[in-house]
Amino acid sequence: MSFDARSFLKDLRQEVESHPAVNHTFLARIGTSPFTIEDYKVFGLQHYALVGMFTNYMERLLINAPNTTAKCWLAKVLVDEYGEGSDGDDHTVLYRNFLTSCGVEVGEEDRVVLHTAVRDFIYSHLVLCSQRPFLVGLGALGPGHEWAIPRMFGPIIKGLRRANFSEDDIMYFTLHIGQDEDHALWLEEALASMIKNQEEADQVREGTLASLEARLQFWEGVQEQVVRWRQPGLGLALSERTRQWMAGANGLFGGVSRATAVYRPQIHDLSNRVPIR
Amino acid sequence: MRILLVQPAPFEDARLGLENTFWLSEPVGLTSIGTMVQDDHEVRILDMRLEEPSKLPATLSAFKPDLVGTTAMTTDAYQAKAVMMLAKQLVPDCLTVMGGHHATFMPEFYDEDYVDVVVQGEGELTFEDIVGIWSEGLDSGTKLQTTALAGVQGARTHLPDGSWTEGSKPKWREIDDFPAPDRNLISQYKGQYFFLAAKPLASIFTSRGCSFDCNFCAIWEFYDRKTRFLSAKNIADQMEACEETFLFLLDDNFLTNHSRLVRLCEELEERKLGKYWMTQGRTDFIAKYPDLIARLANVGLAGVLSGYETNDEDALEGLNKRNTLENNRAAAKILRDNGILSTGIFMVRPDFEEKDFDALYDYIKDLGVTFPLVTILTPLPGTEMFRKYRDQLLTEDFRLYDLLHPVIPTKLPREEFYKNFTRYRTVYRESRNGWLTPKVAWKRRDFLRKLLPGMPRTIVQGLKYQKIQFDYRSYLRDEAGIIEDVRPPASGGPDAVTVTS
Repeated sequence: MSFDARSFLKDLRQEVESHPAVNHTFLARIGTSPFTIEDYKVFGLQHYALVGMFTNYMERLLINAPNTTAKCWLAKVLVDEYGEGSDGDDHTVLYRNFLTSCGVEVGEEDRVVLHTAVRDFIYSHLVLCSQRPFLVGLGALGPGHEWAIPRMFGPIIKGLRRANFSEDDIMYFTLHIGQDEDHALWLEEALASMIKNQEEADQVREGTLASLEARLQFWEGVQEQVVRWRQPGLGLALSERTRQWMAGANGLFGGVSRATAVYRPQIHDLSNRVPIR
Repeated sequence: MRILLVQPAPFEDARLGLENTFWLSEPVGLTSIGTMVQDDHEVRILDMRLEEPSKLPATLSAFKPDLVGTTAMTTDAYQAKAVMMLAKQLVPDCLTVMGGHHATFMPEFYDEDYVDVVVQGEGELTFEDIVGIWSEGLDSGTKLQTTALAGVQGARTHLPDGSWTEGSKPKWREIDDFPAPDRNLISQYKGQYFFLAAKPLASIFTSRGCSFDCNFCAIWEFYDRKTRFLSAKNIADQMEACEETFLFLLDDNFLTNHSRLVRLCEELEERKLGKYWMTQGRTDFIAKYPDLIARLANVGLAGVLSGYETNDEDALEGLNKRNTLENNRAAAKILRDNGILSTGIFMVRPDFEEKDFDALYDYIKDLGVTFPLVTILTPLPGTEMFRKYRDQLLTEDFRLYDLLHPVIPTKLPREEFYKNFTRYRTVYRESRNGWLTPKVAWKRRDFLRKLLPGMPRTIVQGLKYQKIQFDYRSYLRDEAGIIEDVRPPASGGPDAVTVTS
């Protein structure tokens, strides 16, 4: 009897859409509380690191793709991510525009200390896309992202509009609602043709859930940064404060230590630790 | 029918404010309404103050409730919205019911597509009616619409066409006629509630309403100017049913109705429960009945939280407090003499100048209450004061209505105001009338011994909290981007906040 991939995907989609990461209380707070532009600045500076890495994961996965069906889906999504449909501005550029509207100065993103949960999210996805079976990586970037993002961005867009950002400022988010719904449809077709048995289905589910678990931690980390920037006296959890202090966030060790704490060097460091197979 | 009742989390763990740092009481509002319907329905309570954030979506997905209810004071108002939004997102067919203090006084705040019903005033009977109608509809298998709930007394219902309709005033009942709130509904959180070092702590309501009409308080308006009491026997029964040694009687003004308190003393003297309990009460009552206070201390009264408010007779009158400074002073002494912890709440007014702060702090240092808490006069929704000052409000972001941020203009520049406000740490250092004399300590040795296990946690929490409580910049950061003339630094760094006015 042949494996019913459609039925598996239907169940998986339901699992994704009801996952606590996708329905995180922090997102509901954004949707209902009058967060300020300053709050969104803190939010954006942490989230930016993820946005900047997505094509990196996709490119890694593309290299590992076993057949043209998979390569085609990945390539289509990549073309969108490179800027098709948004006047040639890739998604990192769109997100940088949003940061500018939050008051982020040129180069300020490079001086931000990323929360451990942000670094962990990136590292886990580099591993999922480079060192795990292809379908595990596809589960993480496919269902783990494309089915999750439209639902997560809904309350974020609501909150951003309440904070009086213009539609141009928040294009990164609004674009992803429509675009990721398209991606999700392509993905479902691609997955339905690729998953032939329970073992392959299990790999896709493993990657999906691993991505969502990292996402859950990510939202908690971002929430911690957003609600606590106003109270540095208490500040972050002790473990997080220690990590940031060791990374040079307190400025005591100046340039050398700080270099390991900021955005781009952190990301490069993480990428270097996970070589492409 | 499956019913999920949710106590929202504070909007941030480390926010300024005492809730969750020094006092976490049981969600008695939710246990009360849950008890009304639990015989016929499956009721669960989630206290998000004690849960990981992921617990709420996980429970909604797994339990699939037919009805989700939540409650909020003013500072939690947005958190309650988040609960309702998540409920509709994950269980689109569930009925969402919003209740509590903020919903009663600002029902239109919850005019959202994800809120179905707003309960105004006391919730038990209205909730019972809502559950009855909704479950009947579910049982009949028909597709339910909120139209069925239109006209329920005490309910503001969101109709399918998007409009709202209000029922008449809520029904009420003598408190003795309600079943005692079933604390088994929160058995999973047993041992986690506290007041300072008093842990574990149980919570009981023994009266509703207040016969006074202070213009900064909405309690008397919430209960429609009626005050009702649980009988002394019923109070003693509920106290006896609690396993916990420490209890908090949550009444807004427990120390009233002299004859009831005498009967309570008789009940407790006979039963010898060995419990220690804290409550709230006015200083005029304490000053008037010192013998009764001594008798109550002997049957377990261990702490009283009172609004001393101010050092100025005219200001007391301006608040419609109907009390005197002489009563305040006498009450503090009576409590001290009986070894009762006194928590005194004081207010600074937005029009304070440096000399006013000095005068208030000097007054507190002399008064000798055990724990002086200095707050900022805040026009809370539902109060006369809110109506009076509404056109002067600097913000209607209710997260700042926490009694720690002036939401009407201050006479001093805000930075100066907060610098003066945070000087109140001196009232602890320089208090001239301490509580714990050797005589009192000996007299209350059993109480103190039972507090010991909770002391380390309280001290650690206190030290952590002091770091933000006495740093004036914490207050400015809280309102950056919310109160118009306060801006965060351009670099986004956390250390400095500039005030542009």
